[in-house]
Amino acid sequence: MKVFAKSVALAAMVAAAPLLVAGTAQAEGERYVLVSHAPDSDSWWNTIKNALSLAGDQMGVEVEYRNPPTGDLADMARIIEQATASGPDGIITTLADYDVLSGPIQAAVDSGIDVIIMNSGTPAQAADVGALMYVGQPEYDAGLAAGQRAARDGVTSFLCVNHYISSPASTERCQGFADGLGVDLGSQMIDSGQDPAEIQNRVLAYLNANPETEAVLTLGPTSADPTILALEENGMAGDIYFGTFDLGDNIVQGIRDGVIEWGIDQQPFLQAYLPIVVLTNYHRYGVLPGNNINSGPGFITADGLELVETYAGEFR
Amino acid sequence: MSDAAQPQPGGDERIKEISGFRKALIRPELGGIVGAIAVFTFFIIFAGDSGMFNAQGIMNWSVVSAQFMIIAVGACMLMIAGEFDLSVGSMIGFAGMSIAILGVTLAWPIWLAILTTFALCMAVGALNGYIVIKTGLPSFIVTLAALFILRGFTIFFPQAIENRTIIGGISDAAEGDWLAPVFGGEILGGVFVWLADLGLIDTFERGTRAGEPVVDGIPMLIVWALGLVAVGHIVLTRTKFGNWVFAAGGDPQAARYVGVPVNRVKILMFMFTAFCACVFATAQVMEFGSAGADRGLLKEFEAIIAVVIGGALLTGGYGSVIGAALGALIFGVVQQGLFFAGVESSLFRVFLGVILLFAVILNTYIRRIITGER
Amino acid sequence: MSTDRAPIIEMKDIEKHFGSVIALAGVSLEVYPGECHCLLGDNGAGKSTFIKTMSGVHKPTKGEIIFEGQPMNFADPRDAISAGIATVYQDLAMIPLMSVTRNFFMGNEPIRKRGPLRFFDHDYANRITMEEMRKMGINLRGPDQAVGTLSGGERQTVAIARAVHFGAKVLILDEPTSALGVRQTANVLATVDKVRKQGIAVVFITHNVRHALAVGDRFTVLNRGQTLGTAQRGQITPEELQDMMAGGQELVALEDSLGGTV
Repeated sequence: MKVFAKSVALAAMVAAAPLLVAGTAQAEGERYVLVSHAPDSDSWWNTIKNALSLAGDQMGVEVEYRNPPTGDLADMARIIEQATASGPDGIITTLADYDVLSGPIQAAVDSGIDVIIMNSGTPAQAADVGALMYVGQPEYDAGLAAGQRAARDGVTSFLCVNHYISSPASTERCQGFADGLGVDLGSQMIDSGQDPAEIQNRVLAYLNANPETEAVLTLGPTSADPTILALEENGMAGDIYFGTFDLGDNIVQGIRDGVIEWGIDQQPFLQAYLPIVVLTNYHRYGVLPGNNINSGPGFITADGLELVETYAGEFR
Repeated sequence: MSDAAQPQPGGDERIKEISGFRKALIRPELGGIVGAIAVFTFFIIFAGDSGMFNAQGIMNWSVVSAQFMIIAVGACMLMIAGEFDLSVGSMIGFAGMSIAILGVTLAWPIWLAILTTFALCMAVGALNGYIVIKTGLPSFIVTLAALFILRGFTIFFPQAIENRTIIGGISDAAEGDWLAPVFGGEILGGVFVWLADLGLIDTFERGTRAGEPVVDGIPMLIVWALGLVAVGHIVLTRTKFGNWVFAAGGDPQAARYVGVPVNRVKILMFMFTAFCACVFATAQVMEFGSAGADRGLLKEFEAIIAVVIGGALLTGGYGSVIGAALGALIFGVVQQGLFFAGVESSLFRVFLGVILLFAVILNTYIRRIITGER
Repeated sequence: MSTDRAPIIEMKDIEKHFGSVIALAGVSLEVYPGECHCLLGDNGAGKSTFIKTMSGVHKPTKGEIIFEGQPMNFADPRDAISAGIATVYQDLAMIPLMSVTRNFFMGNEPIRKRGPLRFFDHDYANRITMEEMRKMGINLRGPDQAVGTLSGGERQTVAIARAVHFGAKVLILDEPTSALGVRQTANVLATVDKVRKQGIAVVFITHNVRHALAVGDRFTVLNRGQTLGTAQRGQITPEELQDMMAGGQELVALEDSLGGTV
C-alpha cells in the first residue's frame, strides 16, 4: 500500500510540474501553431524551432511547435485537427502528403483559421487547400537544379541516400536529381533508415558493390553525417562527388574540408520565420505579400561559409 | 446462493473479511476508472477553455482514443490469453498498403480489396499464433520478427510497383462502394446539423462548406471502437470461450488437462488481434484516402500500454476489455490534452512512462492480493 | 474388496518408450469401483508416465487399456475425460488468478441460450460451486473468490470436487498430499474417503507410505518401470511397502542406522 501511495504522489508531481509552468507562460497577442511532419529524431527541425521562437519573440506573438513523434502522417492529421479545435489565429503546416492532410487543413481554413504551407508540398497544392501562401523549396525543382549542376560537373551515376523513404518529398529530391543528370533513378536510391550506424554501413555496402558510382546525394544531416564517416572509412572522401540537401555542423565542416562539393540550403530559418512575420502583419495591419515565397534552393560551397558556420544547426 | 455466501461458524477463523476497498481494488477496471476521472478533472481545470471541450476538440480526442481502443481490445484479449503481438503497428501499415495496392494499383473493387486484406491479415495472425504454439517460442520474439517482415513488405511492394511509398487515390476508388462507408463513413450527421442550428456547435465560416457544422457526424471509427469493446467484453466475461481465454493465459497446462483447446484459443486470439489492426488500418485508409509505408509505427506499444493501464497483467490470465478501453481513453485524452494545456509535446513521453510504471506497480500489487503471494 | 466384481479399468502390460528410454516395461493394474488403489514408487519409478498413459496424455507403446470392459484408445485427455477418467495434478489443478467458479467449470462451462447466442450461465455456475464447496467443507467468501486465496489442500479439494461433479468414474490423484501440511493432508485424505464411498474408483499416487495406508484398499508398487506386485490392505506392513518402494535391501541397512525413522 505504501508503494501504491508513493507512486500516486510521484505521478501527480511529474504530471503537474510542466502544466503549471505552461500555465504561467501565456503570452499576449496572437497565437500561431506550426505543425511539422518530422519525427522527434530529425535534428534538422531544430532550426525551425529556433526560428519559430525567435519570430515569436520579435513579433510579440505566442508560438507552438507540434509534430507526430514517429513521423506517422496520420497522426499529423490529428494534430492539425487538434490545432484547429484550439482556435489559434493561424496554422503553419507542412503538406507532406496531400491525400492525408488536405482534409484537416481545409477544415482549418473553413473554420476561419489562416493557414500557410511551409517546407513540403507544392505551391499548387497550397492554393488548392485554401492556404494564404507557400513558403519553401519546391523539392523536385531543387533536386533537378542540383542534378543539372552535377551534370555540368561531369557526373553520370550516383547514390541517393534516402533516410526518410516514406515521405514522397524525399523520393522527389532523388527523382529530380536523376532527371537533372538525365539518367534513370532505378536502384540508385537506397532506403537507409534513420540510425547513423545503419546508414553508414549501407552506404559502405552500396559503394562496395558499385565502386564505379560517381556521386553521392544525401537528403539532410541525418544521412549526410554517417555518409561522411563512410567515405572517410573507405577512402572515397574528397574523391567521390558529394552533394547534400540541407546544412548542419558536419556538413559545413565537410564543405570546408572539400569532402562535400555543395550543400543545398533551403534556408529553413525563413520557412518558420517568414510565415510568423507574414501572418502577424496580416492580422495586425491587413498586409499580405502577393506571391509564394521560395526559401531555396541556394547552393553553399566552400566560398562564403563564415555566417553559415557561425549559425549552422541553430539558424542555418 | 446468498445464504451460501454467509461465512459459517467453524470456517477458517484466520480468513479476514475482505474490506470493500480491497475488493474494489481487485477489479481490473478500477485503475482505468480512477485514471480516467483524474485525467478529465486535470484537463478540465488546466485546459477547460482551450477548445479541448468544444465539439471539434471532443471529436479530436475521441477519435484518437477510439483508434487506441480498437487495437487495445485485440491486444487485451491476446494478453489475457497469455501472448503478445508486437506486429500490430506493422500490420496496420501492411493492411493499409494492401488495400491501396489491390484497390488502386490493381483497380479491384474496394470491397474486394478490403475483404481480401482482412483475410490476408488474419492469415498472418494465424501464422503468428501457429508458430508460437508449434515452436513454443515466446510470442514476443515471433511477433517481433513479424514486425520487421510486415514493415519491410509494406515499404518494398509500393516501391517496387509504383516507385512510391505512399499510395493515394483511394477516396476516388472507393466512391460509391458499399463496404467503404462501413469503415470511413459517418453516422448521425443530422443530429449535428440540428445541434449547429441550435448554436450548440460551431459552423464553418467560409469555403465550400460554409454554414455546415464543424463536426459533421460520428466517424465509423468510433462506432467500431465501441462495438469491439462491447463484443470483446461480452465474449470475455459472459461466454464459455471467454473462460477459455482466461484459462489459456492463466495456466495453459492446467487448462489443457481439463480439456480446454488452448492452442485453438491462442491462435484465434492472434487472429482477432490482426482483425482489430485491420479495422484500424481500413478506417484510417478510408478516412485519409491514402496508405503510407510509415503508418502505425509504434502502435503495438501504444496498444500494450493502454491494456496495461487498463489493469491487465503482462503475464496473462487477468484483465478486462473495459479496462483496456479506459486505458485507451486515458492515453488518447492525455496525448491530445497536453497540447490543449500548452505543454511541450516531448513531455508526453515522460508522462507516458510515469503512468505506465504506475500502472504496472499497481497491477503487481493487485496480483499479490488475488494470488495471496507475499 | 470383492474380486468377483468387474474392474472398471484394466491396464494390461503397458509399455511406454520415449526414444531409447523405456519408461514403462510392462505394467499391469486393475481398479475396481469404490476402491482406493494406491500407486507407490520412488521418484523416477514411472508413476507419472503410467498415469499420464491412463489419462490419455501419452499413448502406450504396447499394451491394452480396457475401460468398462471395452478396449479404449484415447487420442487426448479430452477423450479420457469424456469417458469418465479425471486426473487431478499436484501443481496444475487450478488457475490461481481465476475465480473458484471459473475454475470449477473450466472446460465444462454451463450454457444458457438467449436467442441464437450462447452465454456462460454464471448464476447456475455460482450456485453449484457454492453447493459443492460446502459439501466438501470449504467456506468461500463468494463464488468469485480467486483460487489463489485458497490453501493448497483446498485447491486439491476443489479439483477433486470438480472431477466428481462432472461424472468421473475413475479419479486419478497425482501426489495430492506431497506439498501439504499435516492438517491439510488430513482434509484431502478425508475427501478421498468421501469420494470412494460414492462408488468412484480412486487411483492415489504417492511416495508417502503413511498417506497410502491411511486411505488405500490395495497397493501397487512401481520400480524402474515395472510392477513389483499388488497387495491388499492388511496383508502388508508399512516397512515392507517402504522396502519395496526403495527397490530392496539397501534401505534396510540405511534404516538401521537411522533408527527406523524413514
